Amino acid sequence: MRAFNRILDHLEEWLVASFMALATIVIFVSVVHRYTADVPWIWKYTQHLNLTWAQELCIYLFIWMAKFGAAYGVRTGIHVGVDVLVRLLEPGKRRFWITFDLLAGAFFTGVIAGLGTLFVVRMFGTGQVSPDLELPMWIVYLAVPLGSALMCYRFLQVAWRFRRTGELPAHNVAHVDGMQAEGRA
Amino acid sequence: MNGWIIFILLILLMLTGMPISIALGLTVLSFLFFMTDLPAELVSQRLFTGLDQFAIMAIPFFILAGTFLTHGGVARRMIRFATALVGHFYGGLAMAGVFACALFAAVSGSSPATVVAIGTILIPAMEKQGYPRKFGVGSIGTAGALGILIPPSIVMVIYSVSTNTSVGKLFIAGIIPGILLAAILMAITWVVASRNNYPRMPRANWKEIWSSFWDAIWGLLLIVVVIGGIYGGVFTPTEAAAVSAVYAFIVAVFVYKDLKLSEVPRVLLDSANTSAMLLYIITNAILFSFLLTSENIPQAMAQWIVDKHLSAWVFLLGVNVLLLIAGNFMEPSSIVLLLAPILFPVAMKLGVDPIHFGIVMTINMEVGLIHPPVGLNLYVASNIAKMGLTETTIAFAPWIVVMVLYLLFITYVPQIATWLPDLIYAR
Repeated sequence: MRAFNRILDHLEEWLVASFMALATIVIFVSVVHRYTADVPWIWKYTQHLNLTWAQELCIYLFIWMAKFGAAYGVRTGIHVGVDVLVRLLEPGKRRFWITFDLLAGAFFTGVIAGLGTLFVVRMFGTGQVSPDLELPMWIVYLAVPLGSALMCYRFLQVAWRFRRTGELPAHNVAHVDGMQAEGRA
Repeated sequence: MNGWIIFILLILLMLTGMPISIALGLTVLSFLFFMTDLPAELVSQRLFTGLDQFAIMAIPFFILAGTFLTHGGVARRMIRFATALVGHFYGGLAMAGVFACALFAAVSGSSPATVVAIGTILIPAMEKQGYPRKFGVGSIGTAGALGILIPPSIVMVIYSVSTNTSVGKLFIAGIIPGILLAAILMAITWVVASRNNYPRMPRANWKEIWSSFWDAIWGLLLIVVVIGGIYGGVFTPTEAAAVSAVYAFIVAVFVYKDLKLSEVPRVLLDSANTSAMLLYIITNAILFSFLLTSENIPQAMAQWIVDKHLSAWVFLLGVNVLLLIAGNFMEPSSIVLLLAPILFPVAMKLGVDPIHFGIVMTINMEVGLIHPPVGLNLYVASNIAKMGLTETTIAFAPWIVVMVLYLLFITYVPQIATWLPDLIYAR
């Protein structure tokens, strides 16, 4: 189980970071490509490239990044809510409500994973493809059930750990963007 | 009736402390299950199609660019340049801090990131020079709020997505109010500093100004790329964001060499984490506003207010109060996503300019960022200065008053926001 979790953690981080990098490169290349039209000697070679699918690919990459990244976010504790009231409670009650919140998250993402699966199955039946890339839409939509299922798993994991150790992953706000690196400077 | 059920359910769920995105999603889900015949499967489809817009993708790109810039030593060089220019005034370092925040805000779309980038270096430096710690924390933390007013701005992208206004116009509209606010904050800093005899720095000679400018040029050029690129029609805001991410990567890793290539995956992952969180709230908020629209709630509210014969003047005052209250509970993106779809139709019926309304909302969000209990700038600043939250709040208090006055000023003098976009886009 521990090995499984470790592989899952790595896979999740690796996928999320790669989607981010790929989407950026795709859009950058398509912009550069558009402007090579002004430089005749480059355009001779680049005009045959058709990059109209770049926007679509970028959107799909980001949707996948968002769905899996949201699951990663549960693990890093970045999804915050209005916790003014819960903070005021005595420890016992607070423990109850935090567990309730985590299970509510698991419930919502679990339901979405189920509904998403139904939807993907229906999409598979229609054989619909995306407008530019002509990817089968059911594969593209797989992000919803897969991402939500992973997110559900993460909520349960965090809840389980919270009940056992009383620890919650907390996203450090002052760490937002690499203050360590700057702090040394 | 249905409207009340939706809102009461949402508020109850949110008060339990669950993530806002989950509260939104559960509200929609339970409403669809129990109150309508709409198929619940729609939810999973909407969770996908809600994001299927190229304009939204500017958000992850701007976050990525911002992360590269913060890591990459751009902030440090901007501070040096700003210090060379204004360091010799009373409170020179504090003024340079505000100035550097404004510069950094012009390449970054987030307020807390601006506070981190500038504050981590300047707050300790100001203390070393003998400023009261409170003063440093308050001035930099407040100036950091410029991050979402001076373009690019993530909050403006979100506003434009949820109200269908042009991001380009909003960005341009943020320029004058942003510069004006920076000037006001600098003026206040100067007045306070000269009264209390805060330290001045030796006047920088032309050589130092020139060399610090040249050193910071790569960061400063990005301002030209983003703003010039968008309104010169070179690229769309999303493309500008992607280009600035690549540009920031190159500057951080290859030009300034403050970021090692091996640290890049970490930067990607951190940015993805923040972006995914925002995108997740966005999808669920789009789902929620779809539910509101299908129940005709915004339209009904707009009609109700029009029937009351409220003037735009009173309405805007109400909006400001509502947003300031909301700022006590939620962070900016959530507030804009939740309230913009509801308030926008009313504002349009009362003849408020859509761009002006966006700027008013943005400044409101800035105020929310600098006061407790959820003001992110406050937390970031208190963390950097290792100061308690109560103390930090006291440090921010005079600045909050300034910001609220400025908010009222911009609310009732719409031309400050609309003049430049009208001029540029009229052609």
